[in-house]
Amino acid sequence: MKQHSKLAAAQAQVGEQQATQMPVAREFSHADELLRFDAAQTPVPPAIAARLQQTAAPFAPAPAPWWRRLFGR
Amino acid sequence: MNKPAASQAVASGAPEQWASAELAELYAEHSRAIYYLALRFLGDPQQAEDATHDVFLKAFRRLDQFRGDASVRTWLYRIAINHCQNLNQSWHHRHIHTSTDDAVWENAAAKTDSPLRVLETKELGQRIQQTLDALSEEYRLLLLLVADEELSYEEIAALVGQTADSVRGKLHRARKAFAAHFEKTV
Repeated sequence: MKQHSKLAAAQAQVGEQQATQMPVAREFSHADELLRFDAAQTPVPPAIAARLQQTAAPFAPAPAPWWRRLFGR
Repeated sequence: MNKPAASQAVASGAPEQWASAELAELYAEHSRAIYYLALRFLGDPQQAEDATHDVFLKAFRRLDQFRGDASVRTWLYRIAINHCQNLNQSWHHRHIHTSTDDAVWENAAAKTDSPLRVLETKELGQRIQQTLDALSEEYRLLLLLVADEELSYEEIAALVGQTADSVRGKLHRARKAFAAHFEKTV
């Protein structure tokens, strides 16, 4: 009886493993939907932001002069 | 339902690291859409990185020229499309693609109204890229723009210099050609 329950547990485990290894089928009604899904899965490389921060720095607007900051105009 | 990918903001670091708060905001809000367009339009991740950087730098330097008669997203797309088309026209990128190629695929589509089935999403990006590469630049661009839910047909039409009706007709054919090509990439 004990052996039987062990077997059942092992079979259930194998079944679970197979289920997790099964490819997930997805359906997209048309190209737009597929591309939207793909876009959501596509991360923006963080290197772009780092590079942009450096290259844009020389073009940063000059800070307002002290008197404008002081008098608010 | 998930928010459309195009409107998902990207974490772009601390605001003080940016040359201006406007640039930080612009990048956080629109970089995902611009990068995706560049990636799938050019088909090369390194070129897409460079293009995305260049587009945002150009936009930042021209911020004072933004008149506000179009949305910021549309304005950025215009810069990105010009930039990517210029890259595609350069000598190393030039390839011949005639509109008859598209026509062949539109007609070859046996089950264009049936859904696109995907078993493995692991290599989906490669399949999509192969499919887009096989289409004309015009179809590729239309499909990528219409995938951004923030854009209306009128905005897409303005971006590609056509009427909204013409865009609708071409999109129908572009979707058919895409489906036919996609089936062959399995």
